[in-house]
Amino acid sequence: MKKELPEIDEHNFPIIFKHLAYFIKDEVLKTGTNRVVLGLSGGIDSAVACYLASAALGKDNVSALLMPYKSSSEASLKDALKVVDELGINYYTIDITKQIDGYFSAEKNDTPLDDIKVRIGNKMARERMSVLYDYSYKLKSLVLGTSNKSELLLGYGTIYGDMASALNPIGDIYKTQIYRLAKHLRVPESIIKKPPSADLWAEQSDEAELGFSYELADGIMYLLIDKMYKPKVIVSLGYDENLVNKIYRKIKKSQYKRRMPIIAKISERTINIDFRYLRDWS
Amino acid sequence: MNSIKILLAQTSPVVGDLKKNIENHLDIISKAKDEGVSLVVFPELSLTGYFLKDSVYDIGININNREDALVLEPIFKASMDLNMSIIAGFIEKDEDYNFYNSSLCVSDGKIIHVHRKVYLPTYGMFEESRYFKPGGEFGVFDIGGIKTSILTCEDAWHLSSSYIAINKGAHVIIVNSASPTRGIVEGLNRFSSINMWEELLSVIAFYYKSYVIYVNRVGYEDGIGFSGGSCIFNPSGEMERMMDYLEEGTMKVEINLDVLNIERFKTPLIRDENLNLTMKEIEGILNEKRTS
Repeated sequence: MKKELPEIDEHNFPIIFKHLAYFIKDEVLKTGTNRVVLGLSGGIDSAVACYLASAALGKDNVSALLMPYKSSSEASLKDALKVVDELGINYYTIDITKQIDGYFSAEKNDTPLDDIKVRIGNKMARERMSVLYDYSYKLKSLVLGTSNKSELLLGYGTIYGDMASALNPIGDIYKTQIYRLAKHLRVPESIIKKPPSADLWAEQSDEAELGFSYELADGIMYLLIDKMYKPKVIVSLGYDENLVNKIYRKIKKSQYKRRMPIIAKISERTINIDFRYLRDWS
Repeated sequence: MNSIKILLAQTSPVVGDLKKNIENHLDIISKAKDEGVSLVVFPELSLTGYFLKDSVYDIGININNREDALVLEPIFKASMDLNMSIIAGFIEKDEDYNFYNSSLCVSDGKIIHVHRKVYLPTYGMFEESRYFKPGGEFGVFDIGGIKTSILTCEDAWHLSSSYIAINKGAHVIIVNSASPTRGIVEGLNRFSSINMWEELLSVIAFYYKSYVIYVNRVGYEDGIGFSGGSCIFNPSGEMERMMDYLEEGTMKVEINLDVLNIERFKTPLIRDENLNLTMKEIEGILNEKRTS
């Protein structure tokens, strides 16, 4: 039995593409709108989500928000504009520097640098979420999520920030698979080629921060999650024990980010505990 | 009659909206008349949608209760007016307020058969046993001279189900389902879930020398997509026709008992089936389980 993470190739791409596009169309239309809005960073994930949405709903029904901060890379903004041009979709540029700097100007200077870096990063992610939801109302559009399965599992995202959305077409697709998907979707080369980065501060790199490559992590997570192999079984297959355990710990530790807030049960029927309906219920 | 034309209706039910789904059924049924078909088959829970959760409670119908069954009246009427049989899926409620994942066959304005799903998947993404009581049999009934049995989705995954249906005399096995799309496979133009189904249905058709008609739904419920790909397998185990994956639509197929006749003569597996041996072995298995 083949145990490696399956690749998206020329054989399975057509049905994967159709499935993801139909998912967007079906789930958006049943809410009574036909439009989505998404944050376009210039990275591969939001580009892929954008290509899918444009194919599903038509270019006139997709709006991209470009939300740079003063330290955001120029190349990212350029790449985001390439996507916009290529697809011919509407876009808005909203610089978030004022909001972020305004808030942190009240902060005392003795905060450790590493702490403030993370806090500014989280604040930026949430500021972008806040703008997206404002535009959701303004444009009568649903917010399209752009987090992939790797970062959702590792908890490598900001809760109520970039992890927030109404629907997400790529949340069950590992980062390694996203690259292949992007290639088949004909996402611009410069976006596919650059190293993954949240771009929350200059020279940030996902893989340097995580301490492992997505390729290695995805292979392990595929066995852990999709195949339900126990960590020790994965180690017995020749994977590095420390790495397997580290990844497993990260997944467990970030579970809270993937769930709605817990509610103290006190009544006979409690939201999401024994009051159980689909979101599509309405 | 040695052949019958059947319309497979690959629909996308609106979850929890009986009225809208009935309208859609009637629309398809009325168009089917022009196609010269005498049976229309809809997917599992076609009148209600699949992941109903607590709305099972709101949408159950007791078909023996006049007031309850009134909502289905337009379907009964259509079957009578158009002289057509219809197989559709719904939530059944019995006198004791148990709920079932059921399929009914309406012919000439009357319900001629109800199949209550026996094997209720309750693992992974499925939670059917939380809401439904399992059915207790695989019945065989007659549609225009064709002996038919319904297996609902997971029922077909238990090979004993088709074994029972065939040995009870079924010539056609109708598998209605709501099978979620899942599993990326390298080098394959379909998902692994679809592949499993096609292999299974081919095996049932070939080794039980019967027609197998698969009607699977499409559409999405909270992100879960249903794969479609409704199709017909002949008693040689070959897929004769198939609908597109993920697309709504209908497809006309024909079954011909003369073909079944040839296949059952050439390879008389059903004739040679040793039911006594099976019974003896099963009794042995059950006795062992009881004493261990």
